[in-house]
Amino acid sequence: MAVDVLIAEDEPSILESLDFILRRAGWSIQSVTDGDAALSAVRQSRPRIVVLDVMLPKRSGFEVLKQIRADAATRALPVLVLTAKGQAQDRRTAEELGADSFITKPYANVDVVKEVRRLLGEEAQ
Amino acid sequence: MRAPIGIKISSRRKSLAISQAELARRIGISASYLNLIESNKRVVGGGLLLRVATELAIDIGDLTGDTEHRLLAELEEAFAGPVLASSRLGPPDARDLVAKNPAAAAAIVQLHRAYTDAVASADDYALRLRADPLFSQLLHRILSGITAVRSGAEILEEVPDLDDEERSRFVRSITREARSMGDVARNLIGQFDRDYQHRRAASPVRELDDLIFERDNHFPQLEAVAEVLRAEIGQISEPAVTEALEARFGVTVRKSAERQVDARGFPGQYLFNASERMMWFQTSAVAATRQFQLCRLYAELAAGDMIEAEASAASLTTPTARRLAYRALSSYTAGAMVFPYERFLVDAESLRYDIEALRQAYTASFEQVAHRLVTLRRPGLSGIPFGFLRSDPAGRLTKHFPLPGLLLPNSGHACPLWAIYDAFRTPGAVVRQVVRFSDGSRYLFLAKSAGRRTASFADRAIHTSVMLACDVLHADQTVYATGLDLSDPSADVPVGPACRLCTRRECPDRQEEALAPGGGQDAVRAPLVPRGFDRTD
Repeated sequence: MAVDVLIAEDEPSILESLDFILRRAGWSIQSVTDGDAALSAVRQSRPRIVVLDVMLPKRSGFEVLKQIRADAATRALPVLVLTAKGQAQDRRTAEELGADSFITKPYANVDVVKEVRRLLGEEAQ
Repeated sequence: MRAPIGIKISSRRKSLAISQAELARRIGISASYLNLIESNKRVVGGGLLLRVATELAIDIGDLTGDTEHRLLAELEEAFAGPVLASSRLGPPDARDLVAKNPAAAAAIVQLHRAYTDAVASADDYALRLRADPLFSQLLHRILSGITAVRSGAEILEEVPDLDDEERSRFVRSITREARSMGDVARNLIGQFDRDYQHRRAASPVRELDDLIFERDNHFPQLEAVAEVLRAEIGQISEPAVTEALEARFGVTVRKSAERQVDARGFPGQYLFNASERMMWFQTSAVAATRQFQLCRLYAELAAGDMIEAEASAASLTTPTARRLAYRALSSYTAGAMVFPYERFLVDAESLRYDIEALRQAYTASFEQVAHRLVTLRRPGLSGIPFGFLRSDPAGRLTKHFPLPGLLLPNSGHACPLWAIYDAFRTPGAVVRQVVRFSDGSRYLFLAKSAGRRTASFADRAIHTSVMLACDVLHADQTVYATGLDLSDPSADVPVGPACRLCTRRECPDRQEEALAPGGGQDAVRAPLVPRGFDRTD
């Protein structure tokens, strides 16, 4: 079953609100809370975009990103990485690994929606 | 404003047990005139002052106060400072103390300087705290909490058609996060209280560390110097450098079996006798050591000023720190001579960072190659980012170059589970290890221990262990990942930075209690049967 947005985030409250605002913006959502689950969801659910937290249990967001970019089938999948304020090194690492864009926590909901929309190429709508 | 000369003449005279009449006789004036001078009622100068100084066997500068002027100014500053202000000591007291007991005045000034330095370094410590894993974990939790609260609050505020269930769900979530942030904040404050007690003054070694860290362990000027020096010598080898040292600096190289000591009585495997222009090696020094130290000597003789210019960075505040920096940077230059940057990077990449293979290609030691790998940080032409650690057999870390993201303890010891310690059990063999920290970050560690070659049966050579660390994301570019499934984290060794800084409560190998947030109780070495040692009532 294909979904629009896959959210990989382990903080329940953040996940809850992300799920709410993205669903409300009109997309179908699947959410996972660790890196392993993120990778299998990417393969099985074929999301159109991944919203990926850096700090994930089992397998870090970086490792998930590296795997996504290493697999020919998912290489072009847009990935929006959630980093924490002050973690410039995280951002550099994610850039090197091929993240498409970043949102820095704490963020405004509207910015997340806007960025997902931009990466999905739905700006005109 | 100077300390009055009269008081100094008088106290110096008394300390030499000379009577006023006697001193007056010797310098050819009346006792009553000397009395006026000593009570600062007459000015003394010229030939008379010179005679007084001679008779009292004291430097004229000490009497006139020129040498004490600065001391006096600093002492007045100390008296006026916030710590001593309540003692109500003023300029007259300062003059008096400088005149009567200059050594005590100097001691107070020294204390005052140490105090101002300590205050100035407080900011540095605040910055350093950010690298502490416990703090970063707590801060991460706060940031997550803020993210959730902000996002939830925006939904409550901006979404007009929330149903009751949704509304109460987000209110609950905000309440929960706010409460948990309160707990985290309390922990954080407790942590600051604890940390304050454990603070130490910045040492020269730390200053050097900061300099190296600030420059990302890459010194372009010294790379350029090394390139010039290498061009002078030609292909680097022990005979070539020896020949160049003799031709350009008249330095001879000698080897002998018996141990020698340097001018300060420090024994070593090598030393340079500057007056005889002779470099000595004990016969136990291996070829890699000789080649490296000869390059270092060549660099110090040919480019000492340029190395010193790099070592005179503003951040180094003491002569000791500058001396340590000079030594570290002359070794850096030697490393850059032995391992030319671009060629070495190409070789390292084509050999997949195989340190043993690189040693063969460059007649170098494991530590020399490992150290050089850390310095391949030229922007636009860099190798894998590595961190570096060296340990003695007591577990004490004796050299370290940090890696962004990975906290290598500055001093003391690291986590006992790290490969750097495993390597002591298998001297000469490279030990590799994939580790995972409690924040989920993963690194490849590779370590090897070795001892210096002994000179005789009685010679004890302690072993040291050298470790390189790289992010597991880069590990697949190294030979050390061969045969490892890096994507499978199930065999990772769960580690921390050091027990004091580690949050893994479940670790069976914990040797020391963590700095507990909020001053929690110690849980290691508890009695079998619980007893109430922690009751405060």
